[in-house]
Amino acid sequence: MTDMTRRGLLTAAGGIAVAGGLAACAGTGGSTSTNSGSSGGGGGGNSSQIEFWSNHPAMSKATEQKLIAGFEKKNPSLKVKLVDAGKNYEEVGQKFNAALGGGNQPDVVVVSDVTWFNFALNKRLADVAALLAANGLSSSDYVDSLYADYNFQGSEHYALPYSRSTPLFYYNKDVWKKAGLPDRGPKDWDEFTSWCPALQKALGSGKAPIILDDGSDYLDWTFQCIAWSYGGGYSDKWTPTFSEAGTVKAGQVLQGWAKKKYLKTSADSQSDFSAGLGAVLLESTGDISGIQKDGKFGLGVAFVPAPNGIKTCPTGGAGLAIPQGISDARKKNAIKFIEFMTNAQSTITFSQATGYMPVRKSALDDSAEKAYLAKNPEYALAVTQLPKTRPQAYARVFVPGGGARIGQALDKIVAGSDVTSTFKELDASTTAAYNTQVKPLLKA
Amino acid sequence: MTSAAVPPAPVGDPPRRRGRPIGEWTLAGLLLLPNLVLLVVFTYRPLIDNVRLSFTSWNISAPVAHYIGTANYVRWWHDPNSHQVLINTVVFTVATVGVSMVLGLALAMLLDQKLRGRNIVRSVLFAPFVISGAAVGIAFQFVFDPNFGLIRDLAQRVGVTVPDFYQQPHWALFMVTVTYIWKNLGYTFVIYLAALQGRRADLDEAAEIDGASPWRRFTKVLLPQLRPTTYFLSITVLLNSVQVFDIINVMTRGGPQGYGTATMVYQVYKETFVNSQAGYGATIATIMFVFLLVVTLVQVRLMDRGRQT
Repeated sequence: MTDMTRRGLLTAAGGIAVAGGLAACAGTGGSTSTNSGSSGGGGGGNSSQIEFWSNHPAMSKATEQKLIAGFEKKNPSLKVKLVDAGKNYEEVGQKFNAALGGGNQPDVVVVSDVTWFNFALNKRLADVAALLAANGLSSSDYVDSLYADYNFQGSEHYALPYSRSTPLFYYNKDVWKKAGLPDRGPKDWDEFTSWCPALQKALGSGKAPIILDDGSDYLDWTFQCIAWSYGGGYSDKWTPTFSEAGTVKAGQVLQGWAKKKYLKTSADSQSDFSAGLGAVLLESTGDISGIQKDGKFGLGVAFVPAPNGIKTCPTGGAGLAIPQGISDARKKNAIKFIEFMTNAQSTITFSQATGYMPVRKSALDDSAEKAYLAKNPEYALAVTQLPKTRPQAYARVFVPGGGARIGQALDKIVAGSDVTSTFKELDASTTAAYNTQVKPLLKA
Repeated sequence: MTSAAVPPAPVGDPPRRRGRPIGEWTLAGLLLLPNLVLLVVFTYRPLIDNVRLSFTSWNISAPVAHYIGTANYVRWWHDPNSHQVLINTVVFTVATVGVSMVLGLALAMLLDQKLRGRNIVRSVLFAPFVISGAAVGIAFQFVFDPNFGLIRDLAQRVGVTVPDFYQQPHWALFMVTVTYIWKNLGYTFVIYLAALQGRRADLDEAAEIDGASPWRRFTKVLLPQLRPTTYFLSITVLLNSVQVFDIINVMTRGGPQGYGTATMVYQVYKETFVNSQAGYGATIATIMFVFLLVVTLVQVRLMDRGRQT
């Protein structure tokens, strides 16, 4: 047979397409590999170069380069490639997810308080505690609470603290003075609310007494302080507590500010505050240097308000982690690099350049650092807050999408949605996410 | 004398030759092969993979995905965020397709006239189309900024209060829609302009001699001639509009209030990369694919019917 009809050709092509489709679909039963790398492969890269993925927290690229130069000088056989992996922690997490699929993984990656757990839960990060021990390095000098933040069960730790922060209460001293307020932060949020009319009058129209991140940014982090100060919180371990009385009260306070125009939420709250659009900003210690540089007013810094003198706030920021999928030789280089980047001298350099907290106990005892903090009390405040910090709620940092989910609900509350029903829905969606995405992976 | 037997005259058409020589098919196959390979590897295989993943609970960080049947589809159907996203997608798409085609045609008709400086104006109108969406998004943040924006400044001069475009979902959706239309208007304008320049001017002149009004000449003479272009634009503009991501990501990150300006493409991104639920993201992508396929088929069918009439 030498001829083929058009119909015959189309039938053949269709058959090939269906066969190809079926072949592609093969393996969907039960569980299926996503071709996203194994836990023990090479993960690309080589053992003479350390690839460091960072978002350069608080515009720290120059500082990171300076620290890297020090590391390379001390370890001439190793070169470090600093990679711009995103403009924030979430973008770094997304890039790392893509690398897990593509197989070209970094040696060291910045992981935030929100992003590290999902990687650890899915066995994508190496146990840094074991790597420290295996390479004759110690974890004992890390600030205990910051080191403990990267452990969730067993003895494994999945990152070492790097750019760690707490929220601070920033205020515009010029507006404070004009409003006739004492030069201090409020004792609690109710006192702050009572100051709002005076602050509003001093600011003038179109400006707000307090500026907070919006829900697409870090409102879910800063609002945690407010919720805690009213005796509420996001969750008790894995059980959501959004609809409990204290959290609802905090939500009502937030909504009250919005209704009276005392509150402005923003995707770039630091810039808005620096531009004089508000009297108060609740934001990371890592923003100190930026606000000092951009703000054209006297900057006051205080502990976050809390009732009855019970002061507490969450830690935040990021640590440095090592992918599980790279070779043992690369892991050895990586742990050596992280240890250097977070040693006493490096963390002093980094914290003085950015406002983040020193992560080593010996750094806090260092005489030069003590002198620096005495000279710059606004930087010292973050350190004095440290003993009062509380671990963050699982609902925010451990449940996948927790921060975005809470931020969305808080945005709705700011816009006027009923607080109780919004938080009830949040309880339900958080529980559903935990049941489907976390519970099956936790050890019994 | 016996006459020689005469073969019977053929009845009806001669038998049709069935098919082409296999050599021609082989040559055609060889010529098509490189493109087909690229299409299979980079389009159809990922498409099939996406459909496969839509039936799993894959966490994007996990090395394995677990099959969960149609649970993701059921979840999408009942998810209030999905309902809002679907409404956003429809509103955004209808507005961008409708407005950019009407404005594009109007501008094309205007600049088809012999006006001084029309080439400069044509270039200016087309320029935004070649600028990246991210750059346009950043520029328009300064236009809509509630504190320092151009719109606020202009409105204040005439005593009008402007809303906070970033905090109210319907105003935020309006903002990204206007921005998208501004960026892509040049495309519809150029295609319509080319169609206008290729039309039969004699028909218009004949209608004018017959005393037809300008509106009647527009609806009965010009628009029918532009029908193929209109169908083409309606399909391409719709496909581009539904897939917008850059402007929304830069201006609102899908917010306010979580999904205030999120369209289906943005929801795919958010579920997959922000919430780590890649299986659910694949489900939304599959639903969007089916939705677009149906809409495109309907448009093609209408176009065919239009040609026949």
